[in-house]
Amino acid sequence: MTVVEDQQLDAMFSALSDPTRRAIVVRLAAGDATVNELAEPFKLSLPGISKHLKVLERSGLISRGRKAQFRPCHLELQALDAAAGWIEESRRLWSERFDKLDQHLRTLQEPRNGDRHE
Amino acid sequence: MEIAMNENTLRFTRIFEAPRQLVFSCMVEPEHLTHFWGPVGVTTPLDTISVDARAGGAFTTVMVNDADGSTYPTSARYLEVNPPERLSWIEDYSGMTVTITFTELGTRRTQVDIEQTNVPAPMLDPAAQAGFLTSLDRFEAYLARRAGAHR
Repeated sequence: MTVVEDQQLDAMFSALSDPTRRAIVVRLAAGDATVNELAEPFKLSLPGISKHLKVLERSGLISRGRKAQFRPCHLELQALDAAAGWIEESRRLWSERFDKLDQHLRTLQEPRNGDRHE
Repeated sequence: MEIAMNENTLRFTRIFEAPRQLVFSCMVEPEHLTHFWGPVGVTTPLDTISVDARAGGAFTTVMVNDADGSTYPTSARYLEVNPPERLSWIEDYSGMTVTITFTELGTRRTQVDIEQTNVPAPMLDPAAQAGFLTSLDRFEAYLARRAGAHR
């Protein structure tokens, strides 16, 4: 696992605080894309999308290819893993809570539900 | 499961084979909450759960890690308590809002939708800190699912 400095985490969360940039990250999770490919679904001008990409690139969340004209954007999953661990943690928390709640509800609804199974 | 990041919202859904009123009660009564509030490996002792289930009322718990005894206090304030349909609270530390909607699918079948908004920076949230390091593989799979859901 990549060691991520606090400052870089701050930059990543700051970058992710914008809905368009989050949507770009989600899009890049499906595969690399060029600026043109990214601009289209978001109905943004090229300069507009470039601005968002610069913020994402500075934060370390994405990198950009060196092929001069197209420079495809690539999601840095390891960086994002650190930045977005909380999403997974949140999902896991509710998932495990729900598993336990499901079991608890079954116990409550057993025919002899006066018994307390611990 | 669907996650809509572009609304700054996380959504989780689960269907339970139980009447709606019972599922709702489980979310607001300490005697029920103690059975499931902590995730795997974490217990929430009954005497640490405090519920004042009305708008403006406090909802506090202390989750205890079974392995090392470390504690994760949580503290929230109810925004809406509308049995058996809706429940929502705002977490004091993080400002994150959790809204739970209970939908009756049958007399013994209930859909529960969790919606988290104003998702915080993780370092502010003790519960998120507790398991901050997740495996890359798991996250990649998760991202792939999420990206797929947006097509």
